Amino acid sequence: MYSAIRSSLPLDGSMGIEYSDGTNLPVDACLVLTTDPKPRLRWTSELHERFVDAVTQLGGPDKATPKTIMRTMGVKGLTLYHLKSHLQKFRQGRQSCKESTENSKDVSCVAESQDTGSSSTSSLRLAAQEQNESYQVTEALRAQMEVQRRLHEQLEVQRRLQLRIEAQGKYLQSILEKACKAIEDQAVAFAGLDAAREELSELAIKVSSGCQGTFDTTKMTVPSLSELAVAIEHKNNCSAESSSTVGSPVSASLMKKRYRGVLGNGERLVMGHEAGWVMPSSSSLG
Amino acid sequence: MKVQASSPQDNQPSNTTNNTNSTDNTTNQLPSMDEHVMRSMDWDSIMKELELDDDSTPNPLKTEFTTTESAIGPLYAVDSNLPGFPDQIQPSDFDSSDVYPGQNQTSGYAFNSLDSVDNGGFDFIEDLIRVVDCVESDELQLAQVILSRLNQRLRSPTGRPLQRAAFYFKEALGSLLTGSNRNQTRLLSSWTEIVQKIRAVKEFSGISPIPLFSHFTANQAILDSLSSQQSSSPFVHVVDFDIGFGGQYASLMREIAEKSISSGFLRVTAVVAEECAVETRLVKENLTQFAAEMKIRFQIEFVLAKTFEMLSFKAIRFVDGERTVVLISPAIFRRLSGIGDFVNNLRRVSPKVVIFVDGEGWTEIAGAGSFRREFVAALEFYTMVLESLDAAAPPGDLVKKIVEAFVLRPKIAAAVETAADRRNAGEMTWREAFCGAGMRSIQLSQFAVFQAECLLEKAQVRGFHVAKRQEELVLCWHGRALVATSAWRF
Repeated sequence: MYSAIRSSLPLDGSMGIEYSDGTNLPVDACLVLTTDPKPRLRWTSELHERFVDAVTQLGGPDKATPKTIMRTMGVKGLTLYHLKSHLQKFRQGRQSCKESTENSKDVSCVAESQDTGSSSTSSLRLAAQEQNESYQVTEALRAQMEVQRRLHEQLEVQRRLQLRIEAQGKYLQSILEKACKAIEDQAVAFAGLDAAREELSELAIKVSSGCQGTFDTTKMTVPSLSELAVAIEHKNNCSAESSSTVGSPVSASLMKKRYRGVLGNGERLVMGHEAGWVMPSSSSLG
Repeated sequence: MKVQASSPQDNQPSNTTNNTNSTDNTTNQLPSMDEHVMRSMDWDSIMKELELDDDSTPNPLKTEFTTTESAIGPLYAVDSNLPGFPDQIQPSDFDSSDVYPGQNQTSGYAFNSLDSVDNGGFDFIEDLIRVVDCVESDELQLAQVILSRLNQRLRSPTGRPLQRAAFYFKEALGSLLTGSNRNQTRLLSSWTEIVQKIRAVKEFSGISPIPLFSHFTANQAILDSLSSQQSSSPFVHVVDFDIGFGGQYASLMREIAEKSISSGFLRVTAVVAEECAVETRLVKENLTQFAAEMKIRFQIEFVLAKTFEMLSFKAIRFVDGERTVVLISPAIFRRLSGIGDFVNNLRRVSPKVVIFVDGEGWTEIAGAGSFRREFVAALEFYTMVLESLDAAAPPGDLVKKIVEAFVLRPKIAAAVETAADRRNAGEMTWREAFCGAGMRSIQLSQFAVFQAECLLEKAQVRGFHVAKRQEELVLCWHGRALVATSAWRF
């Protein structure tokens, strides 16, 4: 396509016509044309710089039109055709640049990449390439950050989940223990009642065997309600709540309440009146 | 799934292993070829074989068969009572009653070639459906006859998922026929039963992601909705129609405490059934204690379901300035005669978010339309659930039996009862009711999705996966939805 790519930096800022054989004719603000059969415009860095200046003056590549650029640049021999294609390339290059956060459309990077004297399209291409590369780097960085963020989020989810599972487990454990304790208490209650029954039957035997006719009240070892309660309590190590008020009717009703709660309505414990005389009418002892 | 420090109280010999492959069935099952054949048949082809799909008409009493097992007395008391303490259940009780000697089945399901030996086929399903049909057409005597035959056939909950499910469904039909559940005050649970139930719930969470998925997804939906508006009132009121043993609130309270979401306030109103009086006290006690430990100001009230049926939301105390969260499960829909009214009343309460957790396949079952179809849909659903349990625990595992007996079986009984009742015949589906009342669904957050996926990873049971279905987050077992959670608002 293009003949040998070679450029030289004119020191005085003017451009020169480069011929492929290397001869250089300094021309004042002239275009560089290739010498191959199809003369194409070579966009050197200087020319490009002027182009960019003009474009910037005109308000950016989107606002600038080839016509206005041509006028602003004031370079002889520059045609609309040249400018159209260059502008298009420039716009595309800028677009990919714009998407990268760090790298902007700094033209200097375009200029910097030119020192091997690339021709117009390839210099732009190289520039675009570099922009792309830096864009890719940024993208890679961003993707990595995204991955890290996601990982972090997932770790957070895992951590929270673990805490929640533990909370639930702890709760179920405690409610299970409570229910098991209730069974124990229930068993205790039954045992206590059995013990009470035993005591009463023993007493009944004692009474009937001990007294033949008359009652000798001094000899009678009939325990009062409170004493029975104490006896059973000691046997079963009931909770302390009623221990202080043992002997009073209040304690009996307290215990009654407690066991009713434990046993639930469907299992109301009924102790009959078999014993008769010391036991209150409803199940109050346990 | 062992995600938890195990309880020291657990004296049960637990044989659970984590990565049980579903083909690891051992000798007290049918030969593995049968199992393989079973797995390769899907539900639809089974139904088609039995001519029970929607395209065919029921044919009564097509085949006669006798059982050879009559010499063995019933090893499992066929009644509606619960079997008693787990440690009283001898494994031998359950193993040897497997009444299906292995046979070389080339096609596998020769329904008509029954001589005197059960062929491991699905004739019991035929019979189950017949019973259902009889109940529907009010031929209760005939139903009883077929049922007693079934009682011989399905003696215990052993075998493949379908067989076990069939057993439980048969039991449920039995109770239905004897009317022991209907129109009678149900007895309160004994403490023994309660302990077993709690243990079952605990074990269920340990071997299957189903319960935790339900709770955690719902909780996350609550948390997301509460934290979305920072400037709202700090007071939160949760109306819960299916509190169970209150386990859900443990993790919710934890989150509330940690993130001071509602400035540490939580009030709960639970609608409970009257026969749960004992559990209710226990739940109240334990939740209150837990909240105190978490330093959360907590209040809980209970409302009887009966009262709610009469008064709807007027039975519940609402306080101005609270953000109301409503947790629904199919349980309440079961009791109500009309979803439409419920939703309208719900709107008047202006809840911040309404969360619907469907762990019973309600979407599929309730819309089916007839007792028979609902029955079949429910049977299918619970077979899936049992299958998923099988993937998590080896066959004959005691833990699994406990879970089945105390968690799944009551649900099955309730499902059958509801299907038979068919109070909601011709009703619109819950989704139609919700949308009709102007409710809009809320997308569940990415956190909820991650959490569900995480949970499945921990569970280490193959076959589960999480999916989004319309507005729902769904826990699926091999593509079938087991639990579907969705969040809504007005």
